[in-house]
Amino acid sequence: MTDSKQDQLKPAGIGAGIAKLFSNQSILLVAVILVLGIFFSIQSGGDFAKVMVFNNILTDWGSIILLAVGQTLVVISGGIDLSVGATVSLSSVVSAFVMMNVFKWDGTITGDAATVPLLVGTLIAVLTGAAVGVVNAILINVAKIVPFIATLATLSAAGGLAIIISGGQPLQGPSNFSLISAFGDPRLNPFSFMIIAVIVVVVIAGLFIHKAKLGLYTYAIGSNTFAARGAGINVERHLTKVYVLSGVFAGLGGMYSYIRLGAGSPTSGSGMELYAIAATVIGGASLMGGVGRILGTVLGTLVLYTVQSGLLMINVSPDWKQIVVAILIAGAVAVQGFKFTSKRSK
Amino acid sequence: MSFETVYEVRNVSKRYGSVVALDDASLKIGAGEVVGLVGDNGAGKSTLVKVLSGAHQPDGGQILLDGEEHVWHSPKIALEAGVETLYQESGLAPHLTVAQNVFLGREIPVKGILGKMGFLARKKMAADAEADLERIGIAFASSGRPVSALSGGQRQAVAIGRSVTWARKVIILDEPTNHLGARQAGEVLHIIENAKKQGLGVVFISHTLPHVLQVCDRIVVLRLGKIVKDAPASFFTNETLLGYITGAIQTLQEDAE
Repeated sequence: MTDSKQDQLKPAGIGAGIAKLFSNQSILLVAVILVLGIFFSIQSGGDFAKVMVFNNILTDWGSIILLAVGQTLVVISGGIDLSVGATVSLSSVVSAFVMMNVFKWDGTITGDAATVPLLVGTLIAVLTGAAVGVVNAILINVAKIVPFIATLATLSAAGGLAIIISGGQPLQGPSNFSLISAFGDPRLNPFSFMIIAVIVVVVIAGLFIHKAKLGLYTYAIGSNTFAARGAGINVERHLTKVYVLSGVFAGLGGMYSYIRLGAGSPTSGSGMELYAIAATVIGGASLMGGVGRILGTVLGTLVLYTVQSGLLMINVSPDWKQIVVAILIAGAVAVQGFKFTSKRSK
Repeated sequence: MSFETVYEVRNVSKRYGSVVALDDASLKIGAGEVVGLVGDNGAGKSTLVKVLSGAHQPDGGQILLDGEEHVWHSPKIALEAGVETLYQESGLAPHLTVAQNVFLGREIPVKGILGKMGFLARKKMAADAEADLERIGIAFASSGRPVSALSGGQRQAVAIGRSVTWARKVIILDEPTNHLGARQAGEVLHIIENAKKQGLGVVFISHTLPHVLQVCDRIVVLRLGKIVKDAPASFFTNETLLGYITGAIQTLQEDAE
């Protein structure tokens, strides 16, 4: 017990090199992104390598990355949140609805004049997302429904509510499209105000997940709920925080979507939950809980979007992208399984 | 050898529906004393452990820590009062490092506003965890290793080390040598002896009678929810202890009376 067992942990033989490489998911994902980038650039005759493409990838990526960060927290806790896509739709619609009907801010408010309305809208979107998170937490902690079913129920309810509130049509409110456009020449600079805001939010979230109690307790609960409880952690209260935060990130995702469209659309988040979960899993998080990194999730999202944009640029039918996403998820989970076996075979 | 009583239960009972799990049990644990708790499955050991640790509240009876009566509304309250429990099933969080496990629930925040926001002094905790574990006889290469990279014996050592490190008065160890090889079990027993030297009261629950006889000062035998024998460890042999557990010896006494 006092001697180091470290030497015995290294898997021996041919698998050793591969296992070592795979053991750093981030390096692996960066390599995958580079290989995909080079492949698509050659196939598209250089078009893919342009900054504007990266600009499009980042702009598309905004909502999903926010959802994926929230999802990573949930997945680390050993749960899953299927409701985030519908929450994007609902929060963008509620935000538009309140801006237009309560504050009487309509589509005529544009540009800098829209700053205050959009800030208020963001607050409303965040509160809407948090409310969905509270409902999820009650279903999971009080009604003792497994997260998969609980959040499936709120997915359905939030999606329905978004259609009821909006009447099935996008609600066009105040807008400022310069927020979503690149500073200066989009051929030279891929970053817009919104993308930088998203990056700041993601970095802050990453710090709280990897350096602070919030993340530590989430890992502890996902790793061994018994041990977490035994250590005095209030598991129910912490899981409430986790699901509310996931809802808040979905609310921010909803506002991102609103600012991009200049309208709250009841279908803007449809299916986004699958991309968020895929990005999380590709990024190395385990659906069994206790494992996951924000950096991995960010790279996982970039892998997804690189593939999607790349396929589009080399004129592959968009229907194929779903199949490619499926292959990516299966591959990511297989790599995880491989890592698990190589650790166990000491 | 006499010990100053640190933890005591008086006449505690617990029933689950019509089942009497614990019937009028009284037990004293001294500072620096290792008390073995033995009994067959269903004898009431687990129930008594849960009462001692604050997981369950007894239907009747008193709990006294340092002579003061307490009601444990939750295990956390007992924990804060100085009673540590290591459950058989709880163990450690395998994805966290040794240091993170040692400090789980008692993290040291960084100074200032970041600390209030929950940011943690990870280097300090890693160094402290390593020093604390070493002090009670557990030396690992690094407290930064994830627990999943440790052997079963090492994990158990860390789990017990964690309890010993934090306990101020009493530690309750539920089957700590289960599933361990002879050498690893020996090291766990060694940690228990260190805890005793620190003046902690130790409650040691085990099915492995040689371990109980080796490390305990006193042994308490439970059968059918009652304490049927409470005597110094030297009073028992492996055979007589087994006799009390199964009821064979008591039956003989009753026959003689």
